[in-house]
Amino acid sequence: MSGQTSKWREEQILVICPGSQTTMAQLGCGELTPPVHRFPTRMFKDDESDDWRPYRTYKRKKAVSTPSVSNGASNATTTATAGATANGAAAKDEDEWEYVEDTDSVEGAVYPIRAGRIANMDAFLAFLDHVHGILTTTYHNTPIMLMASPQWTRPDCEAIARYIFEKTRTPALCLINSGIATQYGLKWPNMTVVDVGFEKVDVTCIYESQVVSHLDVGSYPGPERDVSGGEVFTRKLASLLKAKGFDYEMAEQLKKNPICEVLPYAPDTPELMELPADTGDGSKIVAPIADIDDGLNIDGKDVEDEGVLDVANIVVSGQTREFLAKKEKEKAERAKAGRKAKEREGNEAAAARTARLPNSKRPWNVFHYEELVTEEVPVAAPVPAPAPAPAPASIPAIAPTPAGIENSTTDVTMGDASGATTGTAPEAATATTAPIEGSAIDVAKPEPSADQQQASVGSEAVKPEEAKAEAPPAPAAPETAQLTEKQTKRVRRDIEIGIERFLFAERAEIDRIVTAIYRAVQGIENMYMRPYCWENIVFVGNGTRIRGLKDNIMQTLQARHLVSPSSATMFTSELPSNLGTPSGTGSQTPTGSFTGAPHQLPTTSSVNPLLQAATTASLGIPGGPAAVAAAAAAAANANAPGSNAGDASSAPSHHFHSQTPTTIKLAQLPTYLSEWTKNGFEEAMFLGAQVAARLAFCIHNLDVQGLESQRLMSLTRIDYNEHGPKAIRSHSMLG
Amino acid sequence: MAQQTLSSAMPPTDIYGGDEVSALVLDPGYCQTRAGFAGEEMPKQVIPSFYGHIDGRDIFGDEVILPRANFEVRNYMNRDSVVEDWDGATKIWEHLLCKRLQPERPTPPSKNGLNIGDGDGDGDVSMEDASGGGAENSVGDLEKPLAENPVLMTEAPWNSAKAREKAIEICMESWGCPAFWLSRTPVLAAFAAGKATALVVDVGGANTSVTAIHDGTVLKRSIQRSPIGGLWLSNQIRSMWETSDPRVDLVPTFMVENKKPVEAGAPAEARLRNFPFPIAPSFRAFEEERVLTEFKESVVEVWRGPGRFQPNEDYAKSQPGRVFEMPDGSNQMWREQRYRVSEGMWDDTVAFDQHEGRVAKSQTIPGLIKAALDGVDVDLRPNLVGNIVVTGSTSLLNGFNDRLNQELTNMYPGLKIKIHAAGLTSERRFGAWIGGSILASLGTFHQMWISRKEYDENGAGIVEKRCK
Repeated sequence: MSGQTSKWREEQILVICPGSQTTMAQLGCGELTPPVHRFPTRMFKDDESDDWRPYRTYKRKKAVSTPSVSNGASNATTTATAGATANGAAAKDEDEWEYVEDTDSVEGAVYPIRAGRIANMDAFLAFLDHVHGILTTTYHNTPIMLMASPQWTRPDCEAIARYIFEKTRTPALCLINSGIATQYGLKWPNMTVVDVGFEKVDVTCIYESQVVSHLDVGSYPGPERDVSGGEVFTRKLASLLKAKGFDYEMAEQLKKNPICEVLPYAPDTPELMELPADTGDGSKIVAPIADIDDGLNIDGKDVEDEGVLDVANIVVSGQTREFLAKKEKEKAERAKAGRKAKEREGNEAAAARTARLPNSKRPWNVFHYEELVTEEVPVAAPVPAPAPAPAPASIPAIAPTPAGIENSTTDVTMGDASGATTGTAPEAATATTAPIEGSAIDVAKPEPSADQQQASVGSEAVKPEEAKAEAPPAPAAPETAQLTEKQTKRVRRDIEIGIERFLFAERAEIDRIVTAIYRAVQGIENMYMRPYCWENIVFVGNGTRIRGLKDNIMQTLQARHLVSPSSATMFTSELPSNLGTPSGTGSQTPTGSFTGAPHQLPTTSSVNPLLQAATTASLGIPGGPAAVAAAAAAAANANAPGSNAGDASSAPSHHFHSQTPTTIKLAQLPTYLSEWTKNGFEEAMFLGAQVAARLAFCIHNLDVQGLESQRLMSLTRIDYNEHGPKAIRSHSMLG
Repeated sequence: MAQQTLSSAMPPTDIYGGDEVSALVLDPGYCQTRAGFAGEEMPKQVIPSFYGHIDGRDIFGDEVILPRANFEVRNYMNRDSVVEDWDGATKIWEHLLCKRLQPERPTPPSKNGLNIGDGDGDGDVSMEDASGGGAENSVGDLEKPLAENPVLMTEAPWNSAKAREKAIEICMESWGCPAFWLSRTPVLAAFAAGKATALVVDVGGANTSVTAIHDGTVLKRSIQRSPIGGLWLSNQIRSMWETSDPRVDLVPTFMVENKKPVEAGAPAEARLRNFPFPIAPSFRAFEEERVLTEFKESVVEVWRGPGRFQPNEDYAKSQPGRVFEMPDGSNQMWREQRYRVSEGMWDDTVAFDQHEGRVAKSQTIPGLIKAALDGVDVDLRPNLVGNIVVTGSTSLLNGFNDRLNQELTNMYPGLKIKIHAAGLTSERRFGAWIGGSILASLGTFHQMWISRKEYDENGAGIVEKRCK
């Protein structure tokens, strides 16, 4: 049995991209979709054994002996009995004790990855096992594509390889560097990947699919770690709004809201941004959030709401088809309504338009804060029909909520800004009696329309079926006959936020990222690679979803570091320093010295024409229209004086000794993957991991060279058996 | 993991334990410290030997060197590339070998993840409120961190006996290494070039050395060194900028908030940053060095001939110049000056005056090579001149090899001269490390190194006896 012949099917491949907060995973890489599953990257230590559990599990007295349960888990939002979740460990003391698995609690959580580093290997391996167990159905033949942070050390990677091959039946494992994964997702051969994560920022420079420079911020080992990344902004926001009673959760939610924005870099203003002036009363009139000039918010809402449709209810009541039809209709109606609303808006008085300033120009904006509040309330009536044991309640995305109108969720609206809460009661009523209808109404809701907002900020807040995807509210198991049960309410509050929503973007933090990018690219040893890396910068990581952050970083880079074409070379025939010298001996041409390079296999055929032109230009094909065009392209590209382009095109090699950067540009993102365009390329590494998985595991009919590089992309069980865990050093895509 | 519950159809034929751990290679220099695993092509970790000192704590790595209050920059090496500050050396090496190359060690059970509130022990302590003293014993109070990794360390050929003993002590006592070896940088650089006999010309950051290697050993009498390395060249540039008209101001990048394009030779129009705290001179000097490095990379060239620079200055003026834009946006064309700054490496009469005094003729590169060759047996000289290995970052100056070849041809007209200079930038920069990586991954290295047992029996003095 040879490694080359045993290829796998695309739907068999397990792709896992672990992050320090969320892990993206999915079985199959055929469709190149955004991640199907997102797991919180955390584990819980079992109190009694040394095992790890994916959810907080605790023991509590059975309700029989203590009618009014107060088990100390006051923050727990949902509970499920041991029986329902097939928790086998609860064998002893059956009569008195029960085990409760709380899928939402973070009490006692261990986060195995911290700022990219594996802080707790045991927990991480247990977590991998958990993900693997949930997603794989067949018990064998599922190769794993696992994304590794640049901070993972060699012993880490070996420990993971060893665990996977010894504890699972995985036939092959591919570890891929997160920067390389991003690069595979975006398909540029040279790029600088800036990955803004939860607590760290990674800058990885890639030249021809090789990592040529890397710097990280915020993942300093040891207690001096100075956190960077998205977390810094949340903390800052929380501290700025402390006076308003904001806690961390609220700040986190606000940060994700589009009213929170990093203003453009304004080089001449004292604060380096143009804060809207607080004109006093007029502009303070509440400006509805839906007005904001992009669809970000709306999109997000749509997705979320549709995501929480009570699938179980629909299926149970057997109305699936009707429901779907109805929903389609509603969708169409909604679209129509939206269009109408817009038209209406257009016809409205100009006065209204002035009030509709973009977020960045307003000193105030309203933030709709939603929180889940759990409280103990007495159960009104004995609960009938027990919930059908919710199958793996742990799959967050599609966890079914148990059927029944006795759903423990009610809705409360607390509008503190302005809000007629009158509409709440009847709607809530309908919601509880007819869940399906309720959810349909809900779906239709977040449509932005000018008239709706002012009147009923409050009533809009009603979410009949609010259950967050991760929080399926399960009624307490009936047999315990508790007198109280937990109720989760979604409470919505409107809070006016001033310029704090711009000030949270600390200059110091942005400067840190900017400096890291500058040093990483300028730290590339081979100078000729630097321009390519400057011209293809890409921001990934969900930290860059903060509105305006990317732009601000780019603007800062350009204002601070860009080298302009000098007037000293403009009118002379001198060689400017931003073009290559024609003096190469060729001895430094970097050919072939790299070994084991995971080459871009045939699927990556799209090459930047400009890049290609520039390369051919430096290779110096004399004469010919191609060379001329290439020279022109190179000149345009480098923004260099045209008179020197000829010199450059006659340069024989990569002998490049020029000051950089002369251009700083974002890499273009692919447009042909509509799902990813919608999802945003912040998670491009997941896309790239899928692409790489296909290359490593699925492509056959390769030539000899292709086969060899494919063999080195992943570690098969055969190679593992022969060489042991150390083979992962060479058989991987760790850059 | 003793118990092996393999469920696969094809279980591993062997149980793989910690026996596959390879040696670590540590190459400390004045400008950079490089560390990685033996057998790899490149060092995994390259950080400045300069480290930050803030409020009683030491922090390492390029990313932490940022303008902050009470922040100063230190270096644990001295200009001779010998460790001076052993406390700092231990910490920076530990940072590289134990924290960057090895996984984070599990926290003791007393404070493992079970009591996570916020920021307990493993992180989350922000710069401002972290109290000093936590870092010092972070490795010390755990089990020996490198109990499984042999360490190969490099040293300058003129390293003192005391420093060598100190190095083995740290490895054996503090880190619990099972084996240790100390090797001299020129030997390793020759090794990386595939030569056992060579004349190694190492043009590094803090100094330049010329050493003859014969059959893998340093010929002690040949060792020559002078300060004309990267820092010396930086000072030449500073002198040139100070004396040029108009004077060129060196404003390091961190001072600049943003800049506007200006005409060549025009004053800069940049907005400078204001810091509410004083900037330590050591930090500023470190940052200035970045600008100077960029200038060296993109402007400075070695005069390739014909002849030396001095009689050809007028011709040099007609050569294409290069523009350099300073971090504050001011820019100007550099013509013959860009050859002149580096000419002092070859011709002491052209060098700019520096505060540390002028170089002597014997300290130029031709002078060093002559002295080195004069120090060895006449019969060895042809073999050495035919195997010249050029290494060190400063040798990456444009035109360096051409000039070296020319100088040697003039000095030794009768001998066959062959210069070996790695084509890849990184190979030139990390020559000694790569040599160490090759050496430590050889099977024979296991018979060579000083084992823990030998150390226990003989004490630190063994390193003088063994690592000749």
